[in-house]
Amino acid sequence: MTAATASTTRRPPFWRNVRVLRVAFQAVFVVAVAGFLLFLLDNVVYNLERRGFPTGLDSFDYLKQPAGFAIPDSDFRSTQSLGDALLVGVQNTIKVALLGIVLATVLGVLIGVARLSTNWLVRKAAAVYVETFRNIPVLVIILFWYLGVMIRLPPIREAVEALDLVAVSNRGIVIPWFDQVGGGAAFGVVALVALAAAAGVWVWRTRRFDRTGEPHRRGLWAGAVLLAVLAVGFVATGRPWTLDTPEVGELSTSGGFRLAPEYAALLIALSLYTASHIAEIVRGSILAVPRGQAEAAGALGLSGFQRMRFVVLPQAFRISVPPISNQYLNLVKNSSLGVAISYYEATKVTQVSIAQSAPAVQAIALLMAIYLAFSLTIAAVTNLVNRRLTLRGRA
Amino acid sequence: MLNVRVFRTWTLCVLFSIVVVLGAGCSLGDDDDNGGDDAANTGATENGEAAGQAGGDGGLLQQVQDRGTLRCGVNDAVPGFGFVGEDGEPQGFDIDFCKAVAAAVLGDAEAVEYTPLTAEQRFTALQSGEIDVLIRNTTYTSSRDGTEGARFLHTTFYDGQGMMVRADSGYESLEDLAGETICVLSGTTTELNLESQFQALGVDYTPLAFEDNEPLQAAFVEERCGAWTSDKSQLAGIRSSWPEDQGGPDGLVILDETMSKEPLGPVVSDGDDQWADAVNWAVIATIQAEEFGLDSTNVEQGSDDPEIQRFLGQPVEGEPFDPGLGLPTDFAVAVVSQVGNYGEIFDRNVGADSALELPRDLNALWTDGGLQYAPPYR
Repeated sequence: MTAATASTTRRPPFWRNVRVLRVAFQAVFVVAVAGFLLFLLDNVVYNLERRGFPTGLDSFDYLKQPAGFAIPDSDFRSTQSLGDALLVGVQNTIKVALLGIVLATVLGVLIGVARLSTNWLVRKAAAVYVETFRNIPVLVIILFWYLGVMIRLPPIREAVEALDLVAVSNRGIVIPWFDQVGGGAAFGVVALVALAAAAGVWVWRTRRFDRTGEPHRRGLWAGAVLLAVLAVGFVATGRPWTLDTPEVGELSTSGGFRLAPEYAALLIALSLYTASHIAEIVRGSILAVPRGQAEAAGALGLSGFQRMRFVVLPQAFRISVPPISNQYLNLVKNSSLGVAISYYEATKVTQVSIAQSAPAVQAIALLMAIYLAFSLTIAAVTNLVNRRLTLRGRA
Repeated sequence: MLNVRVFRTWTLCVLFSIVVVLGAGCSLGDDDDNGGDDAANTGATENGEAAGQAGGDGGLLQQVQDRGTLRCGVNDAVPGFGFVGEDGEPQGFDIDFCKAVAAAVLGDAEAVEYTPLTAEQRFTALQSGEIDVLIRNTTYTSSRDGTEGARFLHTTFYDGQGMMVRADSGYESLEDLAGETICVLSGTTTELNLESQFQALGVDYTPLAFEDNEPLQAAFVEERCGAWTSDKSQLAGIRSSWPEDQGGPDGLVILDETMSKEPLGPVVSDGDDQWADAVNWAVIATIQAEEFGLDSTNVEQGSDDPEIQRFLGQPVEGEPFDPGLGLPTDFAVAVVSQVGNYGEIFDRNVGADSALELPRDLNALWTDGGLQYAPPYR
């Protein structure tokens, strides 16, 4: 009866129908956005063509032109193409980003925990660190580390050497590194065996712990087995690696692993800056774990370290993953500031290419796509981690 | 609920339309470059083609005259060529040519708006129309002429690439630099020449390329690099103002070798011939004036020589000579009286009367064995 009444009442016209209106407005909005973007693209293409610049996909052929310029600290030859140069730039970005993320995370977690220490000095020192680095623009920190520290190290002929192991000058900081002298394949097998043995011991200790409840100390056990097998294998395969110590020459150093001043300055500055942000996230995440958790752990007789390690940090970690992944994105994007100190990452290579006659719009578009790819990759990885960590709701 | 939602959507739509309209407005502003035609985008294409071919009445020359100022892209860190003087004003050899163009086009040498640019920014700034003319020790090369959409005009300075080292380093030739780290500005022809020259010599080296002269100088002072390569004139400029606590000018040596040809001159965008002609002849006028023996002190007195009268736009048989460059007939008087002839500009900024004390060498008049040669003004 009710239904019949409803159908006899006059239906509102379509322009007053909520469902029609919703769809219509969204359609209009999408069309407007798409139209605006097309208009911008058309504008760019029109203006480029008016000034006689190449447009269209084949204008990306500039990537095949020989570069003509050299890139320090790489195997890149100036006869290689601009595309190869860009790849070297991308590699350099990855080099600084990956190590920077690791260093910033380790330092950030340590300082974040230190900010909540019961020790007054540790707590305040961490606070000073965070407030200092968080409140200075990252470009200033980079310039400080390069112009204020790295290039003010002693010149090469006055290089400081410590125990013949480390050589420090403004042409680079050199540390000893391993040098392969032979038997690489055999040692590779040994390394695999060592890893397998360590994994086996890890599983054994874990199972034993599950069965008996005695402390497993699996990290210690696995590490010891790994080192022992590697050491035995190293001798057995005829010592395939030697320690390569730095030699200081007249104009440069040889041997060892050399950290170029530009790379070192960018890496240190980005790590210190990002660590200060990560520390705040870690501190906030720890505070976000309900107090009752730590108190309950204390009531069970867990020590301060155990409370942190087994109860608080795992929960805090879950909270901190999304904001920390933002910091990783920032670190990658901030690495483009390497242009200021002559570090050849993707942005620097792009800038130099443009100056050496690559088309600006195309080259910048490509650079934007590269950073987008970096960011989406990091976002995808951290989302994956996040998904695995999220508490499954009780359905 | 419904009302709120509809209201929000409406607001979005309205905001969006505003954005679109603003965007369109910007592009119309751009289109003014062509012909000042305020018609919508539909008319733009014809405008573009017309302007591209002929320069038209609404070309850059007309725009600069309407605007009343010349936008000149310059350097601000090379003593002698383009730098900020003690009074805070830009000065130098290149700056004076900006002034010469302004004097020719606008009649006022001071009507210049300077835009300091890095080597890497300069062509983009020119292409985008941010500046009218680029006078920033820019080397004339084929690929810049071709792919950068740039048009190079009369060379104002014939230069060559050199190498500067510390006097106490003991380096005497490029071969001595094997294994050395060499500082260079990135995005320059110098960077490319460095690579090709050292490849050809088979000498191993490490480049260190900076965007700006300031960090480069810091790196050189701290011996991060043992040599500094650039155009010889630039190196001379830097050497002349080398701080005393670093040993002053005598603490540095510029090696004798010249690594490349570096003809430097003003650059304009491709596609506007009338503007290119105007800039070109403003530069040539300074050289022509020196050939005629005219300088800032005597140019306004005029002359009885019909050739000079023609050049200065004095009435010959009633009518001043107009070569059809779109410039005032007496533009040469404005240029020479306000800025000076080529020799005066050279001596004042980089030559005998300056700290650089560069010899005229290739930049002497052709009559003195140099390369500076003005096409006939007739």
